[in-house]
Amino acid sequence: MNKRNDIPGRDKIADTDRLKIPSGVMNFFTEAGDTSRFAGRFFRQLFFPPYEIKETIRQCYEIGYRSLPLVGLTAFIIGLVITLQSRPTLVEFGAEAWLPAMVGISLIREICPVVIALICAGKIGSSIGAELGSMKVTEQIDAMEVSGTNPFKYIVVSRIVSTTLMVPILIIIGDAISLYGSYLAVKIKGEVSFSLFFHQVFENVVFSDVIPAFIKSFFFGFAIGLIGCYKGYNSKKGTEGVGRSANSAVVISSLLVFIIDLIAVQITEFLGYL
Amino acid sequence: MTNTLLSTTEISAIPKQSGEPIIEIHNLEKSFGKNHVLNKFNLIIQKGENVVVLGKSGCGKSVLIKCIVGLLNYDAGSLKVFGKEIAELPQQELDEMRARIGFVFQNSALYDSMTVRENLEFALRRHRKQKSKEAVDQLVKETLTNVGLLDAINTMPAELSGGMRKRVGLARALVLYPEIMLYDEPTTGLDPITAKEISSLMLQMQKKYNTSSIIISHDMHCAQLLANRMTIMIDGINYAEGTYEELQKLDDPKTHPFFE
Repeated sequence: MNKRNDIPGRDKIADTDRLKIPSGVMNFFTEAGDTSRFAGRFFRQLFFPPYEIKETIRQCYEIGYRSLPLVGLTAFIIGLVITLQSRPTLVEFGAEAWLPAMVGISLIREICPVVIALICAGKIGSSIGAELGSMKVTEQIDAMEVSGTNPFKYIVVSRIVSTTLMVPILIIIGDAISLYGSYLAVKIKGEVSFSLFFHQVFENVVFSDVIPAFIKSFFFGFAIGLIGCYKGYNSKKGTEGVGRSANSAVVISSLLVFIIDLIAVQITEFLGYL
Repeated sequence: MTNTLLSTTEISAIPKQSGEPIIEIHNLEKSFGKNHVLNKFNLIIQKGENVVVLGKSGCGKSVLIKCIVGLLNYDAGSLKVFGKEIAELPQQELDEMRARIGFVFQNSALYDSMTVRENLEFALRRHRKQKSKEAVDQLVKETLTNVGLLDAINTMPAELSGGMRKRVGLARALVLYPEIMLYDEPTTGLDPITAKEISSLMLQMQKKYNTSSIIISHDMHCAQLLANRMTIMIDGINYAEGTYEELQKLDDPKTHPFFE
């Protein structure tokens, strides 16, 4: 007879005290691992022909140009509102002259990149997630594969490259529009010329304000494209799966924007640019 | 062949018809969790032969043809296409082999962001790079003329009817001049008249393009018209095999309902 079974309550201990990893934790690490593999596959295929240049340009147009009205309007409102809300406090301390510089730095360094990246995560992330999910469910991706072509290259690589290139451009344009909104807000309350406002902004905005913000915007774009494509490409069967892909693409890419921003701030501080 | 039910081993030992075997399936197994879909399935397709696979919904017919093109990996057994074991092919060779196989999906699976012309050009431009733009255009128009849809060349898939989508799906599969055609329920979801038209078109195209084919179908008119040989899949094996007439005469409670 096995001695292990002689210990009273041994079987109960084995059942109840066995180390069990919660399914939520398991799912998190499984998803993280799969997403990393997906990103690795992207980088492996990025540098080898055939290059889907025509499709990449088409995606740049769809992702970049078509997002411009929404990004422009949002950036304009942000610039206007932040200036209007900051002004009374600065007036109280007699520091109204600092308004263009303060608003300019905060818009360029932080507010515009993060808000525009979130707008893009909502608009572009959901659109990619839903489009690829729908292609998966209707077997269009399988159809590309059985025709002996590489659907990953055509569908995924082109979209991730496009978001990585277009989001920074949208952010730069958004910066300019938000500064114009800020100028209008200052103009409403007081007398300031266009050239004086922008002279005051750019006199105080330095290289180390612009470059870290510009670099992190590439990571924002990459994360939005990667998550949108990953969720859509691995969509489960059915229309419910398509909706879930679009939804989780937005949620995860928005969260990643904040995480990347947090890491970027730490690196910027470490390098002495803060 | 006699009108008797054949065991799995007997089926694999069926004397070869004239021509070389282009698809050889031996003891193929595929499971999804505890669900054993293919259970030592055997089938040999000779060059120029059209085989219809009948079976209840969910019995694994589509899984079989997805294994043939490498969309799904099989668990055990052997699956050779053009003499090469699918599971052992590197990606590039698999892609080259796929270009020699046309696949018609149940719901056509047309690329809905592209026009009909672009749907046909998609694989053509990637596999026939040496062809000029004019030659590609000519080939696309010729294929669309063959399926009677040249007028729809610049139409988006969303604007097409069910029958037209099937025709475009067929044209897209034929444009690379495949040697094997795999049809996944080609007439499902169509009205009887359009279904007959599609079946006739498939027959015409098989003669014109000289293809061998596996046709997954529930449509007995389609099966009767196209099949040189039929196999009935039950419980993951080819339960019975023979010509339409041979299987129709079988007095078996499992096969008889297909012919009622």
